Amino acid sequence: MSNETYTSSTRIFKELLDEIGKVVVGQHEAVEHMMIAILCNSHALVESNPGLAKTLTISTISKALDLKFNRIQCTPDLMPSDITGTYIIEDIGGKKQYRFEPGPVFANIVLADEINRASPKTQSALLEAMQEKQVTVGNKTYMLDKPFFILATQNPIEMEGTYPLPEAQLDRFLLKILMDYPTFEDENEIVNRYTKNIVPSVKSVVSKTEVLELQKLTRDVPIAEDIKVRAIKIVGATRGKSEHIEYGASPRASIGIILAAKARALMKGRNYVSKEDIDVMAYPVLRHRIILTFESERKGMTTDQVISDLIKNVK
Amino acid sequence: MDEFLEKLKQTRTGFLSRMRILSILDLIAIFSIVYAIFIIINLEYFLNKFLPVASIPIKFIPPVLAIFIAVLLSILLHRRDSKLNVIRIIENKYPDLNEKLRTAYDNRNESNVIVDSLKTIVSESMKVVSPSNLLAKSRIISKVIITIIFIAGMIFISNNPGEYQIPESTLSNITKTFPGQENNTGLIDIIGRPENSEAIGSNGSGDIFGKPKIASIEGKNIDLTLYSGVDTGFDVRDTSQTSNQFIKSAAFPVDIVGSNVSDGGYSMLMKKTETEKMLINKYAVERSKI
Repeated sequence: MSNETYTSSTRIFKELLDEIGKVVVGQHEAVEHMMIAILCNSHALVESNPGLAKTLTISTISKALDLKFNRIQCTPDLMPSDITGTYIIEDIGGKKQYRFEPGPVFANIVLADEINRASPKTQSALLEAMQEKQVTVGNKTYMLDKPFFILATQNPIEMEGTYPLPEAQLDRFLLKILMDYPTFEDENEIVNRYTKNIVPSVKSVVSKTEVLELQKLTRDVPIAEDIKVRAIKIVGATRGKSEHIEYGASPRASIGIILAAKARALMKGRNYVSKEDIDVMAYPVLRHRIILTFESERKGMTTDQVISDLIKNVK
Repeated sequence: MDEFLEKLKQTRTGFLSRMRILSILDLIAIFSIVYAIFIIINLEYFLNKFLPVASIPIKFIPPVLAIFIAVLLSILLHRRDSKLNVIRIIENKYPDLNEKLRTAYDNRNESNVIVDSLKTIVSESMKVVSPSNLLAKSRIISKVIITIIFIAGMIFISNNPGEYQIPESTLSNITKTFPGQENNTGLIDIIGRPENSEAIGSNGSGDIFGKPKIASIEGKNIDLTLYSGVDTGFDVRDTSQTSNQFIKSAAFPVDIVGSNVSDGGYSMLMKKTETEKMLINKYAVERSKI
């Protein structure tokens, strides 16, 4: 099965991207990175201004992948049980019994919209599910379905009344994806597509089993020693004496870069990880894992600029 | 063993043997240069002069020494040959194999569907790899030509030593200036004498190219050379304050003195002798010409 999936992986990814492209105009990098996060069996954090098709993109991906999709709109009064599920009393044959009612986290793809609006208590409930791929309610643990992918979103402009995610929790997201405004041509195409009676739709092109196979194949992609060393050096450089970085990335970042690079290589139809994969994936992997110094922030430097400098300096 | 590993091993062996040939060419070229230099500087003369008793005949020492230097230098030049990363060299020469070969090599012990497919692709691409392509032909050819030129030069110089060798008379003059030689007067000053100070009092002819000046007075030679820091110049050692007090002088008496030239100097001129008048006249005429 693995062999067949690998042989047809190039076709699968092409069909998948074509299908997603029917609905989502542009945002190729964001779509690619979301797919990479899914292939790595991990999670992603998306930061973008409102109205840039975050929900549309992820719901389209779930449809194309034939996976169950749920959306959680995070608000300050959202309770952990609203996410994980709760026990309800049910009358069965005149006898009252507790029955577990699964929450929205019981899906393959979960969109946690505006995660920073949820209280820390609720955030941690969600993050536990992310890490352990299981939910504990009362004294019982429920395993989440595979594959399990959470795409959390953040709005970078409205910070009032939010609970910014602590660094330790941010570290659990494999990638931080930035979605920018579309180009003029893309926006023109968006307007053309969504102002007609026929709304574009997608069909499923990849089965759940194939997604799991692809996740397995991702880890099989070989990587050369020097390329692996390069990834570790890039992460190590964030902990060095950089004048721009206050706190560097954890070893989880090294794992993240290599895994994401493997997924990218697989998506690109390559059977090896190239240096380019490492360099490209270093940005979304490190973006949320490094804290810039006050001086750098004051100068208006972005984390991407700092990462770019690090990549240039690593031999 | 995987097919590509076998091919890689063969390529590496072939490449290293070519590098060995290059190192031999370097050795020959260095030997030719060094031996030619030994002939030009007439090393045998120096060896005879300074090493009169040797365990081996003097004439064998220059070639043996040249071989020794050539071996040493070629080892230094090629010391990293065995550590050369052949995989990188292959990847640079064959861009199709870039990153693939090293990945396949680093994961040679792994086996899964992706690694196996990579190994198959690499094995296929490795078929065109040849050790002769890894070293630029121009590099080998240029090295061979250079070596031949050096050998020819060395043979030519060794066959015509008289034309290129420094004459023994020049060498003999040079050796005389060496410390401890027979013509040396033996007195070596330790406080800053020039290197050729040994020649003082013997052959000093007074030229400006280093020989000291010798004055000969009534058959006695006197050394006129001034050594820096030895009985020359002076040191300012007295740092005591000097008195800057002014001493009043008597006031110059003020008086009115009439000018002697009120009549245009005519009366003064009339008082002069005839010789003086002629001289002044001649001066005025000459002055007017300027």
